[in-house]
Amino acid sequence: MIRARELVKHFRVHKRPPGFASALRSLVRRRYETVKAVDGVTFSIERGERVGFLGPNGAGKTTTLKVLAGLLHPTSGEVEVDGFVPFRRQTELLERITLVMGQKSQLIWDLPPSETYALNRAVFDVPDAQFRQTLDELTELLELAPLLDKPTRQLSLGERMKCELAAALLHRPTTLFLDEPTIGLDVAMQLAIRDFVRSYNQRHEATVLLTSHYMDDVVALCPRIIVIDHGVLIHDGDLKGLVKTMDPDKRVSFTIVDPIAGDALAKLGTVLARDGHRLTLRVPERELPGVVGHLLGPLHVADLAIEDPPLEEILRVMFGKAREGEANGAAAVDATPPPGKRAEADRAEEEAGT
Amino acid sequence: MVRYLRLVLVQLRISAAAGMAYRADFIIEGVMAVAWMALTLLPLLVLYDQRSAVAGWDRSSALVVIAYFLGVRAVLEGVVSPSLVDLVERIRSGAFDYVLLKPVDAQALISASRFEPWKIFDLLGALALVIYAFHARGGPPSATGLAVGALLFVNGVLAMYAVWILCAAAAFWVVRLDNLTYLLGAIFDVARWPIHVFRGLWRMVFTFVIPVAVMTTFPAMALLDDLDARTAIATLAGTAALLVVSRLVWRTAIRSYTSASS
Repeated sequence: MIRARELVKHFRVHKRPPGFASALRSLVRRRYETVKAVDGVTFSIERGERVGFLGPNGAGKTTTLKVLAGLLHPTSGEVEVDGFVPFRRQTELLERITLVMGQKSQLIWDLPPSETYALNRAVFDVPDAQFRQTLDELTELLELAPLLDKPTRQLSLGERMKCELAAALLHRPTTLFLDEPTIGLDVAMQLAIRDFVRSYNQRHEATVLLTSHYMDDVVALCPRIIVIDHGVLIHDGDLKGLVKTMDPDKRVSFTIVDPIAGDALAKLGTVLARDGHRLTLRVPERELPGVVGHLLGPLHVADLAIEDPPLEEILRVMFGKAREGEANGAAAVDATPPPGKRAEADRAEEEAGT
Repeated sequence: MVRYLRLVLVQLRISAAAGMAYRADFIIEGVMAVAWMALTLLPLLVLYDQRSAVAGWDRSSALVVIAYFLGVRAVLEGVVSPSLVDLVERIRSGAFDYVLLKPVDAQALISASRFEPWKIFDLLGALALVIYAFHARGGPPSATGLAVGALLFVNGVLAMYAVWILCAAAAFWVVRLDNLTYLLGAIFDVARWPIHVFRGLWRMVFTFVIPVAVMTTFPAMALLDDLDARTAIATLAGTAALLVVSRLVWRTAIRSYTSASS
């Protein structure tokens, strides 16, 4: 059970403009700014739930996870994990939780993962029989056998991530904080990690709080989604609810067999994408039967597919609205999308008319 | 307690294994350990080649100070320094998160996180030097001298450890600390000379501010049956105070940990 009530975490950061002169000035007089990383977030998660934690870069996801794991002291508000206050770092709590960070490693670089496991066994004081059993189970689920005795530095990114997961789970935690566990992994490895997390959750009735930039991870794993932006919670509920509230229109994709006039298409819905003969329309749900009937009937289209709008698109619109709110006077933190995403975000904003 | 002992043993084994991961490095480290010990003795031998005593210390007594210096340095370079350099690096990179996530005391865990197994030769060299020095003096130390000398060696190591913890704790606020650890290393080098070589302000600094006298001169004097009870007790009390202060600073420092970005 995880509870956060009016959780606030502010950081005081040193700010200076670029350039040598300002670097010199900052030696004498420093300007500080308070960054509101998390600004009054409230939620509660029951045991055994799998919850996706979403938000743009700098939204406060990782900070929240770190506060929940006891790494950071909250500025104000209340946090509770399994009845413990995390930042007190009580042994009983630390033995029940784990935090996996896709961008940080706890494996000993020059030695095989089995040495890190031996160290963690000593640290968590895991009895010999339980350690063997857990390691066997993790080895089977994650297919670790060929990796255990290879030096960490010789493992691929995906192999290392699997070993990281095992290192984090050897003490059989019942609360898992997973921060970008699939970052940089190929599709097959992402699937393997996803399957593993689901299986671990079911076997041990473990609570999972997951952040990921890959929406597929979240869609596949998490029935419930918490969306945070600029440190503020903007959605807490199931995925379908989020989609319905934000964008109830469906996406209808099809391949044109015979030419269709532009105005005929415009009557059916908004054209979102056109790639040769393949088209994607945005169609309001209530008009769907008529549009589909028309496409399959008089217009003779092929390969027709009806889908919900992609989660990425929904979130881009949500964060775009939040930025609009910010321009109207809200607090400031950097929520700029990564460079690769910027063009897409701009496009989405255009589409959404923002 | 058993948990911590088992943990230290596992870390010792892992550090030895990590040291042996690169074969050439392992051999070079071994040769370097022997060479450094010889170089440490050189200034002393050169000095006493010209005179029989310096600041009231004859050659064999000064060798005992050097032996303590080698001993404390072996622990410093073998355990404390690698672990704390590791700590500074972990704070900078954010990997210290994983230390705080463990259900053991973070200071204990980090203080023994890295070992340089080759430094055991420095420790053995220090012991050999003590034996040689007492052989040159014409007899073994007294039982009391041996007991107090051994106790003050442990005390000296703890004093040095406390100073290093204080220094490392600063890494939670200033992040880049490499130069400070080099500076402390250079200051510690002073401990190879008996404190009486220094006068006035420097003697005060090296006794009370950066207590190198507590690490080498006083233990050597105890072994030589030349330390009064009052100084011995003050030495122990001073170290205890230093350890308490370092622990308090460490705990405050941990609260300031902001964790590097994801």
